[in-house]
Amino acid sequence: MPMLKNARLQKSIFLFIVVAPAFAAYVLFTLYPNALSIYYSFLEWDGIGAKTFVGWDNYIRLFHDPFILRALGHNLILLVTVIPITLIISLVLADLLINRAFKENSFYKVLYFFPNVLSLVVIALVWSFIYDGTFGLLNGILRVLGLGGEHNWLGSKGTALLSMIPLYVWCYAGFYVVIFMNAMRGIPKSLYESATLDGITHMQRFSKITLPLLSGVIRVGVIFLMLSVIKGFEYMFIMTQGGPGGATDVISLYMFNFAFGSLNLGQHIYGYASTIGMMIFVLLVGLKLILDKFFAKDSVEY
Amino acid sequence: MRTGISSWLWRMVLFLWALTILLPLFWIFYQSLKTNQAFFADIWAFPEHLEWSNYEKAWTSLGIGQSVVNTLYYVGLSLLISLFVSTVNAYAFTRIEWRLRSLLWSMIMLSLFLPGINILVSQYTLMRALNLTDSLNGLVLLASLPVGAFELLLLGSFMRTLPKELDESAFIDGATLFQVFRKIILPLSMPGIVTIGIFKFVGLYNDFLGPFILISDPAKYPISVNMYNANAMMEYKADWVTLLAGLVITIIPTVIVYVLFQRRIIEGATMGGVKG
Repeated sequence: MPMLKNARLQKSIFLFIVVAPAFAAYVLFTLYPNALSIYYSFLEWDGIGAKTFVGWDNYIRLFHDPFILRALGHNLILLVTVIPITLIISLVLADLLINRAFKENSFYKVLYFFPNVLSLVVIALVWSFIYDGTFGLLNGILRVLGLGGEHNWLGSKGTALLSMIPLYVWCYAGFYVVIFMNAMRGIPKSLYESATLDGITHMQRFSKITLPLLSGVIRVGVIFLMLSVIKGFEYMFIMTQGGPGGATDVISLYMFNFAFGSLNLGQHIYGYASTIGMMIFVLLVGLKLILDKFFAKDSVEY
Repeated sequence: MRTGISSWLWRMVLFLWALTILLPLFWIFYQSLKTNQAFFADIWAFPEHLEWSNYEKAWTSLGIGQSVVNTLYYVGLSLLISLFVSTVNAYAFTRIEWRLRSLLWSMIMLSLFLPGINILVSQYTLMRALNLTDSLNGLVLLASLPVGAFELLLLGSFMRTLPKELDESAFIDGATLFQVFRKIILPLSMPGIVTIGIFKFVGLYNDFLGPFILISDPAKYPISVNMYNANAMMEYKADWVTLLAGLVITIIPTVIVYVLFQRRIIEGATMGGVKG
């Protein structure tokens, strides 16, 4: 059967042209660097000179490095603030957009999502202007309200890290508004209708019906936000360089600075940076597994 | 009456959140039309006359003109190649039977669990070893050739909904595999491809870390790295209104794409979210 043979040959050629290069590139640029980073984490290497194999030294250093704990502490502060605030704000906004028929709602739906498509550098620079000590927008508003307005938000140790919280919430909330709105639309109308007959208020309806039914989506939201907050360091890198005095140094930024930063007099420390990277890797995957287990029980079905 | 007041309060809540987005953007826009002196004197006052020359200065002396050209090249080429790669691969993985298919599929899906943050160093040294640093083509290669799990999932789920009889009857009529792909599958998958394309565009245009690590020659900076660099220089120059003008220029393409495609963007984002 020459026809069949021809078809088979065609298929092989097609697959070879289509799948092989893209898959090879995926293995080379994604999988291989992951393996390579494990190897690097056992090296002492400045990226140019000779590689020295140092065994577990970098991992031991990890446990004696006080800045690791400090950076993780900053991550923790962001996690316990950004996640609940983002989820609460976006749940409330989503509920308002779905259940109240204000005529501007359809515009808000589109507007709220907009920060999600803005470039990270733009967001960082916009917020730098908001927080600036002399001509910042926030100080300007505070002056108008008669509440001071002379504070250098990113330049003082006490407020630099806390100032990042509204930025993160601002960036992420719009995304979860959309996610929660879609989930809320999926809740059967009959549930609400029977509740309304029982004389239930808006508030009760939100807390007794909507919230429990959304627990599955909220769980996904928690995991997503967690991953983004631990991985993300670009805002601190652009806005404060981890300063002042390390007040906004988070774990990924700490790693990044060893590898690419200018803080070590232009010296690059690839080995130890990779070790910190491995720690973040384990941390992220571990946290995800724990959360999956922890939340698995209370997902509600209807 | 009480519901009237609470309804009004909730309406204010929605309005305030909208204001947190609109106010900073609007504020930056009108500051960018002032002189530096006027900006320092009063951050609220509207500009007395509009300094459009700030935009000219941003375009030339901040290097935005050159970086726009670089961005067009990097984003345009990456977009074309990656759309081609994802479409043909989605076709190969969902509509053709072959031996290693499920193995390769699960290997690609593995990347959804890899956080990626740990490979910044190793990916850089790899690119350096391949002589692909400080080159826009290197950026394009990295951004477009490796097949992406997200694109494959999205396009694959789209192509699976097309009836199998479409390809089969075409094969019986003597069409080749290439013809079936180009004449039947490609046109029918267009909505999915457009969604992926918009997403890819936003991602590529906004990408900062990759180009920042891989490009060190300022003449090759894409716009995001260029703005980062311009901001870092302002510590010495203090020409803030020009920086703000540059910021507005950077935002404009985002606004245009968003206004044109907001529906698809919002839908696509949630699709990705559900997949986890």
